[in-house]
Amino acid sequence: MNTTHWSGVRLVAGRTITEGLASRSWRIMTALMLLAGLAVVVVPRLVGDDATSYTLARVGDAPDALLSQLQATATAGEFELTVVAVPDVEAARAAVRDGDADAALTDEGPSGRLYVAAQQVGTFPVLVSQAVVSLTLTERLVAAGLSPDEVEAIRATPPPEQVPVGRVADEGRAGVGFAVGIVLYLALILAGTTVASAVATEKSTRISEVLLAVLRPRQLLVGTVLGVGALALGQIAALVVPAMVGVVTSDALDLPAAAATDVLLGVVWFAAGLLLYAFVFAALGALVDKPTDVGSATLPANAVLIGSYLLAVTVTVANPNSWASVAASLFPLSAPLVMPVRWASGLVPGWQLALALVLTVAASVWLARFAAQIYARGLARSGRRVSLREVLPGWTDRS
Amino acid sequence: MVLQAVGLAHSFGERRALAGLDLTIQPGVLTGLLGPNGAGKTTLMRAMLGVIQPDAGHILLDGRPVTFADRQRWGYMPQERGLYPRMPAAEQLAYMARLHGLDRRSAQRRARALLDELGLADRWSERTEKLSGGMQQRLQLGAALVHDPDVIVLDEPFAGLDPVAVAELSVALRERVGAGRTVVFSSHQLDLVQDLCEDIVMIDHGRTVLAGRVDRLRSSTGRRHLRLGVAPGAPRDWLTAFPEVHVVDDQVDALRLDLPAEVDPLAVLDAARAAGPVTDFGLDLPTLSQLFLGALGQDSSDASGAPDGGLDGSAA
Repeated sequence: MNTTHWSGVRLVAGRTITEGLASRSWRIMTALMLLAGLAVVVVPRLVGDDATSYTLARVGDAPDALLSQLQATATAGEFELTVVAVPDVEAARAAVRDGDADAALTDEGPSGRLYVAAQQVGTFPVLVSQAVVSLTLTERLVAAGLSPDEVEAIRATPPPEQVPVGRVADEGRAGVGFAVGIVLYLALILAGTTVASAVATEKSTRISEVLLAVLRPRQLLVGTVLGVGALALGQIAALVVPAMVGVVTSDALDLPAAAATDVLLGVVWFAAGLLLYAFVFAALGALVDKPTDVGSATLPANAVLIGSYLLAVTVTVANPNSWASVAASLFPLSAPLVMPVRWASGLVPGWQLALALVLTVAASVWLARFAAQIYARGLARSGRRVSLREVLPGWTDRS
Repeated sequence: MVLQAVGLAHSFGERRALAGLDLTIQPGVLTGLLGPNGAGKTTLMRAMLGVIQPDAGHILLDGRPVTFADRQRWGYMPQERGLYPRMPAAEQLAYMARLHGLDRRSAQRRARALLDELGLADRWSERTEKLSGGMQQRLQLGAALVHDPDVIVLDEPFAGLDPVAVAELSVALRERVGAGRTVVFSSHQLDLVQDLCEDIVMIDHGRTVLAGRVDRLRSSTGRRHLRLGVAPGAPRDWLTAFPEVHVVDDQVDALRLDLPAEVDPLAVLDAARAAGPVTDFGLDLPTLSQLFLGALGQDSSDASGAPDGGLDGSAA
């Protein structure tokens, strides 16, 4: 009839999950996460459709060669091109002025004129000009007596390769790192506060009193942390899974393949960070007498999380390989927030990632043991706010 | 199973809650743990249940140190409510039963059976927070009994109950006692429970001041109370013939007299009748609170010689 260690933990975690799934706040948060995850996929596609469609107004008959040249450019540049015919130059000007066309091409002067809006409309006029110049150049080369193959060889001259120079190898990927940082920070704060509230509620309602008569404090602690952790992971999955599926199945977001790994790594870091912080939050939650005091009791842990996050989005984003960034990404308390951001810069050696993970997990195990003692002593003292000092292991042998 | 505490001591910082307390609780006898607020009853129970680790002393079960596995077969009802507000009543009980090691099916069967016994059968799917205070208290009792424990420890189970509920609860407890279980409950309302328990342990300032069978303790002092109904305004001068008799209570038409063992109650009654009409009379054994106060007087005079007296008033 005896409850073994893990069956006790499983019962506590199961109850925590059942209550969480039934709670309105968890359902709303998860729905919001799911919406956010879907929005990451859907919104760029909607916005993107608007941005990549250009209209060219043209006076007179456009040569087929020019149209096919422009169409080829449109296909390569991933935008849609519409050519509309207008009767005269006045109508062409009006079309551009009124926004009906992005540019208007006329046959005035020796090489024609391109009317553009006073506010620049991106690269489209440049592309049209290049197409006109390229076509004229071809005509002249043919007129000079070159064979079509020779003309083609000349036109195929490659432009110089563009190499981005900067601290971050890939802007898109760094953006993913930034987003992972924000989500990790919010998710850890949320999960930590949930754990602390759950513990404080059990203590203040004296449920812990009943439970501690049949469970060891560690069973109760681990069960609660696992339950809340599973709920939090569920929320993160609601956010990440649709986004990942969208990124993989469509190219609307135009992210490098490495970004997918960065996001998955973010989930791994969330699990590690949760393991590390949840026990601390639980211990702090066990110190309060009223659930309303959870905010002030968890302040130390929140402060460390906020500090780590700020470090990640300022120091690490600006310079991922400065000594401060390296140190913060390896130090267990800040690693869960700093390392994912730093990793997305693409400049982190694999051994540092592995070391940071090992250090974090090792610190979690040590911290969990430490927190379990504070938790047990905190729960045993009710009726007032317990100071951290009086329950610190080694400070006093009373409990 | 015989439940014992030996030399139990515990302090919360400067405040000493238990000061070397000893007690023995026999199975098959309903035992009351009595004492004023702050006497250390709750700390004692929490130490017995392992909720707190005492600074010194041992809890013994049948003479050997109690283990975590033993406590799986115990039931505990704390003084303050400890139920999940959003959990349905039956689930609450089944969860507690499963924590005590029952499998899912027997946990649910026991939960239903106990809700029946406690008169909550029609509330099994109701959320706990929707139940009335009295129902929640019964449910809390259910949580302590659902796994049919060998040892039942209840902290102030009678506090705030109406007389009907007190009677129902004592029936439920007597049933367990009759089945040979070890049952102990605490109360600070000494006179409320004096007819409920067979054994008592009185504690004050963290130590045992009096323990034993209620009926024997009440008769062993030899003191009795003589209750007299007299005519309004009747003279009291006849009392001077009994210098050993102490007047406990003197109202216009009623007297309560404390009689030492050597005074014959009938002689006092005769003297009263000679002085005027007696409308009512009765002989009472001392109440538990009188026993407690008596024991306390003895205890403090004993302790006055010791340097740390044990009565420093720190246990609030």
